[in-house]
Amino acid sequence: MPLVILHREGQTHRGEVAGNSNLVVKAGVRQFPYPHLRYGCGMGKCAKCACRVLKGAEHLPEPNWKEKQRLGPHLEEGYRLICQLWLNHDIELEQDKEPLQPLKAEASTSQQP
Amino acid sequence: MPELMNHVDFRSALENAIKGKSANKAPFSVAWASGKLSRAHLARWAENHFHYVGPFADYLAYVYARMPDRYTEAKDFLLANMYEEEIGGDRHTDLLIRFAEACGTTRERVIDPDNMSPTTRGLQSWCYAVAMREDPIVAVAALVVGLESQVPSIYRRQTPTLRDKYEFTDEEVEFFDLHIVSDEIHGERGYQIVLEHANTVELQQRCLKICEVGAQMRLLYTTALYWDYVAKEVPIEQLEMTERKVA
Repeated sequence: MPLVILHREGQTHRGEVAGNSNLVVKAGVRQFPYPHLRYGCGMGKCAKCACRVLKGAEHLPEPNWKEKQRLGPHLEEGYRLICQLWLNHDIELEQDKEPLQPLKAEASTSQQP
Repeated sequence: MPELMNHVDFRSALENAIKGKSANKAPFSVAWASGKLSRAHLARWAENHFHYVGPFADYLAYVYARMPDRYTEAKDFLLANMYEEEIGGDRHTDLLIRFAEACGTTRERVIDPDNMSPTTRGLQSWCYAVAMREDPIVAVAALVVGLESQVPSIYRRQTPTLRDKYEFTDEEVEFFDLHIVSDEIHGERGYQIVLEHANTVELQQRCLKICEVGAQMRLLYTTALYWDYVAKEVPIEQLEMTERKVA
């Protein structure tokens, strides 16, 4: 079971998730990392879920076309779109207080947290 | 006489009710999976699929209006689901139309209800009837658990085929990608609502029955797509051989 560590606004949240979990799906069904992970559309558009990967990036697949399109140079800084990732290994993430602005601005949602 | 089931047993019974009539073995699905459809066939699929999934927020709006006030979480879920279908990111039907256009048809043809088959009209009507007339928890079981929750597993199989065998681009098949995340959330929350609120034997049995009927309706719709649009060009014998090879 992958261990997920999420840093956000000075707090650290830890939890285990089943293999092949998508953290936005988990938060969407009110399981860890809910209510700590901010997310929005779940379709790789709004970038509200974007996090910097502090540890475990080597286990992730290459960024897909949506991540390349939305994050561009932020990929070099270690950001990924969490809604596009299915996790099978431990990972440590940091989510900024303010969401990243996606490169191609699209309608975003009011989903919380 | 059936007895009241706990959440674990009830969930497993719901999953079994859906599995029994999976649309995956319908000839249209077999032809799709084996790469035997042409883009014109897929265009006909999109022209029909629009009229089944396009009004999804409308179906849910009827359920929302009839859901008791005290089921606040269930109401909020329905509202969020409607929002996400329509304006949460890209409108889901716009992505379906993008795929349809890549198949060679037009937005005008897709949205024209005259281009759906009578069977698709039947499926759409069934969805409206369930939303308007059934107990709202039974309606959630039908539309969200029975139909919507099945989408991620179907599209997980179909999307790589669209890229690899039919050579669509990532952007052309985004409609299929996005449903893997959003419908997984919607389906699971639908399960949570049904498990919590179907709290009598009668309600549980009605939920099970309607999931079974929903799966039958989807199978009927998928089967008709083959006979209406594909059978003349891809005879059923070719598909039976394909299915035997896969099995």
